[in-house]
Amino acid sequence: MSGAVGREAVFPTRQSLGLMKSKLKGAETGHSLLKRKNVSEVRISTFTYRRRLRSTGINRTPEITRRIDEAKQKMGRVMQVAAFSLAEVSYAVGGDIGYQVQESAKQARFRVRANQDNVSGVLLPHFESYTEESINDFGLTGLGKGGQQVQRCRETYARAVETLVELASLQTAFVILDEVIKVVNRRVNAIEHVIIPRTENTIKYINSELDELDREEFYRLKKVSGKKQRDVAAADAEIEAAREREAQKQLGAATETPDGPEAPDVLGEQEDNDVIF
Amino acid sequence: MAAGTVAYKDRQFLAVIGDEDSVTGLLLAGIGHVTGPPDAQRNFLVVDAKTENSTIEKAFQNFTQERNDIAVLLINQHVAERIRHVVDSYSEAFPAVLEIPSKDHPYDPEKDSVLKRVRRLFGE
Amino acid sequence: MEGLFFNVNSGYIEGIVRGYRNSLLNGQHYSNLTQCETIDDVKLQLAPAYGDFLGALPPNPSTSALAGKMTDKLVAEFRYLLAQATGSTARFLEYLTYGYMIDNVALLITGTLHERDTRELLERCHPLGWFETLPVLCVATNIEELYNSVLVETPLAGFFKDSLSHQDLDELNIEIVRNTLYKNYLEDFYKFVTTHPDFKGTPTQEVMAEILEFEADRRAINITLNSFGTELSKPERRKLYPEFGKLYPEGSLMLSRADDIEAVSLAVSISADYKAFFDAVGLTQGGGLGGMGGSDGKSLEDLFYQKEMEMSKLVFTRQFTPAIVYAWMRLKEQEIRNVTWISECIAQNQKERIGNFISVF
Repeated sequence: MSGAVGREAVFPTRQSLGLMKSKLKGAETGHSLLKRKNVSEVRISTFTYRRRLRSTGINRTPEITRRIDEAKQKMGRVMQVAAFSLAEVSYAVGGDIGYQVQESAKQARFRVRANQDNVSGVLLPHFESYTEESINDFGLTGLGKGGQQVQRCRETYARAVETLVELASLQTAFVILDEVIKVVNRRVNAIEHVIIPRTENTIKYINSELDELDREEFYRLKKVSGKKQRDVAAADAEIEAAREREAQKQLGAATETPDGPEAPDVLGEQEDNDVIF
Repeated sequence: MAAGTVAYKDRQFLAVIGDEDSVTGLLLAGIGHVTGPPDAQRNFLVVDAKTENSTIEKAFQNFTQERNDIAVLLINQHVAERIRHVVDSYSEAFPAVLEIPSKDHPYDPEKDSVLKRVRRLFGE
Repeated sequence: MEGLFFNVNSGYIEGIVRGYRNSLLNGQHYSNLTQCETIDDVKLQLAPAYGDFLGALPPNPSTSALAGKMTDKLVAEFRYLLAQATGSTARFLEYLTYGYMIDNVALLITGTLHERDTRELLERCHPLGWFETLPVLCVATNIEELYNSVLVETPLAGFFKDSLSHQDLDELNIEIVRNTLYKNYLEDFYKFVTTHPDFKGTPTQEVMAEILEFEADRRAINITLNSFGTELSKPERRKLYPEFGKLYPEGSLMLSRADDIEAVSLAVSISADYKAFFDAVGLTQGGGLGGMGGSDGKSLEDLFYQKEMEMSKLVFTRQFTPAIVYAWMRLKEQEIRNVTWISECIAQNQKERIGNFISVF
C-alpha cells in the first residue's frame, strides 16, 4: 500500500490527523469539481461553438469533431467558389493580374480584432474581422477591362476570408481548450492517483502510530500498577514481619520483665497499629 | 493560459503562404500588408514549383514566431504538406495556422494537423 | 481598284489567315468540350486543332498550362505571318503587338518601382509583346533610367513622349499609366489605318475604323464604370478616354461627368448598340453593379466581347485587307479564353456555368 505513493512527513499526532482528514476531504471535493469542470468545459464550449457555428451555417451533428470537420469542408467549398471567381477575372481581363496585385498591396484593408470569451474560467480568443474602408489598394485594377469582375471577386474573397477567420477562431479555441483540458486532466489524475492515496496513507499511518502509542501507554500503566501492587505487598509483608517481631519481643519481655516499657503505652501502641494500616 | 492572453491584442493581420492564385485572391480581399521602410516586409509568400522548401520554412517561422502582428496564418494545404514536420510540431495558439485548399488541390481533412489533434482529443 | 495590287504583296498572308480561321473551334467543338469530364478529355478534344502544341503537357495539366500552350500556338502562327509580311501590312501587324507591349512595359515599370529583380519578370511578359530590346529595360534600376530606355529602345516611345514624364511613372497608379498608353496607342492605330495611303479608302479603313471605334468606346465605358468609388478624379478620368469613337465627343463629355451608372447609360444612349447592351444587363434600372449578372447570366463585359467577336467574324467577309489578321487574333484569343473557361469549370466542378463562353461559329 505504501511503496510507490508514500506518505507525508508528519508527526503522528492527533492534530496532524485532524489536518490530514480535512486535506483528504478537500482533495476529494476538488477532484469531483475538476472532473465536472472538464466535462462542462467541453460541453460549454460545444455550446459556444454551436452558437458560433450556426453563424457559419453548420448546426447538425452534436460531435465537435464532426462540426469542425464540416466547418473545414465548408471552407473548402467557399474557397472553391472564390477561386472560381478569380477564374472569371482572368477570363474577363484576358490575362494574369497576379503580379500586379502582389505589387500593389500596401496596406491591409481586411484586418482582425482579437476578443476574449470566458468559458468556465478559460479565456478563449475570438477573432473578429473588420475592414478599413479607407484603404483601397486595388480600386483601379482592371480599369480598362474586367474591373467589374475584379470587384466581384474581391467581395467573394472577402466573404471567404471572413469564413476563414471564423474557422481560425474556432481552431485557436480548440488548441487552447485542448491545452486546458490536458492540464485539468493532469490535475485530476494527480489528485486521484497521488494526493488522495498519499493522504489516506498518512492518515492510516497516524492512526496506527496513535494506536501503538495507546498500547504502549496501556502496557506502561499496567506495569506501573503491577509494580505498585508488588510494593504494597512487600510493605505489607514487612509490617507483618515487624509485628511478628514485636509480638515475639513482647512475648520475650513479658517473660523477662513483664511490666517494663509496656505499662505506660498500652493505648498508644494500639493507636500506632492503626496508623500503619 | 494567462501568458497567452497578453500578446495578441496587437495581432491584427492575416498572413498567407500559398500558390499564386490563392495569394492573388486573398490579396484582392485586402489582407495584403507591407510594413513601412526601411525593412519592408510582406505578409504573403507566393510558392511555386521552383520555391525551395527552406524558403517556405523560413517564411513560416517568420510569420509564426518573429512577427507579432499576425493573428492568422493561412497556408495552402499542398504547401503545408511540403513542410509538414514544421506545421505538425507547431502547437501555439497564436497565430492560428489554418490550412486552406487551393484551386488545384482540394481540401483533404486527413492531412490537416489541427484536425488530427482534435480527433485525438476526442478519441476518434 | 484597291484589290488590284493587294495580292502581290499580301495575298499569301491573307490566304494563310483564312486557313487559320478554318481551324477555329466551332459550336460543335465547344459542345463536345463541355461534355468533357477531365482536362485530359479536353486535351484530347483539342488535339485536331492544336496538335503538337499540347503534346508536351503532363497528364491532367493545370488550366493555366493549357492556356499557355494554346497561346504558344497563336504566337507561333502570328510570328510566321509577321515574318512574311512586307510594307504597310508588316507595319499593321506590328501595331497589333503594341497592345501587348504596353502590358509588358507596365509590368516592368511595376517591378522597377518596387525594386524587384525585373529579370524574373521577363518570363511573365506576353510573348506577343516581346521585342528584342525588352531585356534592355531590365538593366534600369530606377524609374528615370527605365523611362529613358523606354524612350530610346522601344516602339512605344511615341505613346510616352507627350503625355507621361518620368515623374508620372513614379507618382501615378500603374493602371493610369497603362490606360494612358493604351489610349495613345488606340489613337495612333486609328490614325494609321485611316490616313496611311495604302489603307485610306480601302476596306481596311472601313473595317478597322469600326472595330477601333468600338474598342475606344468600350474602354471609355469600362473606365467610367470601374472608376466609381476610386480615387480617380473626373478630369483625370477624362484624359484616359480615347479621342475618337462613336461616343466622341458628346458621349465622352457626358461620360466624364457621370457620377453613377444612370448617367453612364444616358451617355451611351447615343448609340443604339450600347443602349441595347445596357438594357440587356439591366443597368438602366439602377440595378447597380450587383445586378451585373443580368437575366441570362451575361455581364456587360460579356456582351462587349460578344459584339467584338461578331464584328471580327464579319471581317472575314471582306477581302484584300490585313484587318482579317486582327480579327483572327481576336477570335483566337477569345477561343483560348473560352477553352480556359471550360476547363476551369471542369477542373473546379462548376458545370452549371460552363456555357458562359462566346462562340460565334
